[in-house]
Amino acid sequence: MKERDYAQGFWNPYVAGVALGLVLLLTFYLMGTGLGASGAVARTAAVVAHSVDPQATEANPYFKDFYKPGASHPYVNWIVFEVLGVFLGGLVAVLTARRFRPGVGRGPTAGVGLRLACAFGGGVIGGIGTRFAMGCTSGQALSGGATMVVGSWVFMMAVFATAFAAAYFVRKEWS
Amino acid sequence: MTGPLYIFGAFGYGTSLLIAVGIGFLFGFVLERAGFGDSRNLTNIFYFRDMRVLKVMFSALVTAMIGLITLSWVGLFDYSTLLEVSLLKTYLWPQLAGGILFGLGFVIGGYCPGTSVVGIVSGKLDAVVFFLGMVAGIWVFAAGFPLWGGFYMSSDLGRLTLWQVFGLRPEWMALLIVIMALAAFWLAGLAEKWAPYDK
Repeated sequence: MKERDYAQGFWNPYVAGVALGLVLLLTFYLMGTGLGASGAVARTAAVVAHSVDPQATEANPYFKDFYKPGASHPYVNWIVFEVLGVFLGGLVAVLTARRFRPGVGRGPTAGVGLRLACAFGGGVIGGIGTRFAMGCTSGQALSGGATMVVGSWVFMMAVFATAFAAAYFVRKEWS
Repeated sequence: MTGPLYIFGAFGYGTSLLIAVGIGFLFGFVLERAGFGDSRNLTNIFYFRDMRVLKVMFSALVTAMIGLITLSWVGLFDYSTLLEVSLLKTYLWPQLAGGILFGLGFVIGGYCPGTSVVGIVSGKLDAVVFFLGMVAGIWVFAAGFPLWGGFYMSSDLGRLTLWQVFGLRPEWMALLIVIMALAAFWLAGLAEKWAPYDK
C-alpha cells in the first residue's frame, strides 16, 4: 500500500528496533533490570489519589505499598525518573524532526468524539491490564521477552492475540 | 567491568536515578523515531497495513537477547545474577488475564503506556486522554483490590525462563526465538501486501 503522511519520515523499523534493543541492553548492563513505563503510571495514580484523600490512599490495600512508613515519596523511584526521561527524549525527537502536530490520531472516517471516548475506555482497560500483568509492552513484553521470562512471553502472546481478534470490532475507529 | 553494574555496587541509588533519566531519554527518542508517537502507526498492525510494531519490537527483543548472551560469553555480564536477583517473576494466570485486558486496551485505546508518553509530547490529544484513562483504570484496580488481590498474587512460578521450561541451553532457546523472529519478519512483509481491511 502507499504510505500515508503520518507514517512517513521515520527510521527504518529494523534500524529503530536494533537501536531500541541496544538501549535495552545498556539498561540491563547498567541496572540488571530492563525498561518500563506502566509503573510510573501506577505511581501517578497513587500520588493523585493521595493528594485528594491521603488516609484512604494509605489504607488502600494496593496503594499502601507506595506509602510505607518512613519511605520516600512514590516519585523517588527508578521507573518514574526513567519515564521523565522518556518525556524529554520524546520531546527532543519530536522537535528536532519538526513533528509536533497537535491533533487526534484516528481513522479517516472516525469522528473525534468516538476516538477520544475509545482512547479513554482503552486506557482504563489497558491500565487495569498493566496491574494484573505487573508491567506493559516495555516492562513485560520487551524486557521480559529479551530475558526469555515465561510470564512475559505469555503476556506478549495474549496481548497480540487479543488485539488481533478484537481489531475487527473497532475497525471503524481506525479505518 | 562485569555487569549488571548497579547490582554489583558500582554506583549508588542517587546515581541510578540520574542514569534512569538518561536511559529514558534514549528510550523516548528511539520510540519517537520509530513512529510510535501516533496511534495510527501503532494500530495499523492489527489490520495488516503496516507491521512496524512487530518489526521494531521483535528486532529490539532479539538484539538485547543476543547482546546479553554475547556479553556473558565475553565475561562482561553475569547472567546468573539476572536469574537469581533481578529477573521478572512469573505469575502465570494474572499475567495471561492482564495480557488479554492490555491487548483490548491497546487496540481500543491506540497506545500503550510508554508510547502514550511519546504521543503526548507529539501533541496528540488522544494520547493525553489515553494516559488519563490509564490513571482511572489503576484507580479501579486499586478500589477492587480486596476482590482480586488474591488472584493478582496467584500462580507464582518465581523466576522462570523459557529455556528452563523446555530443558534447553539458553543459547539454543535464543536461536529458536531468532528463527521465530525471522519467520515473523517474512510473514509481516507478506501481510503488508495482503492488508484485508485496507479499503
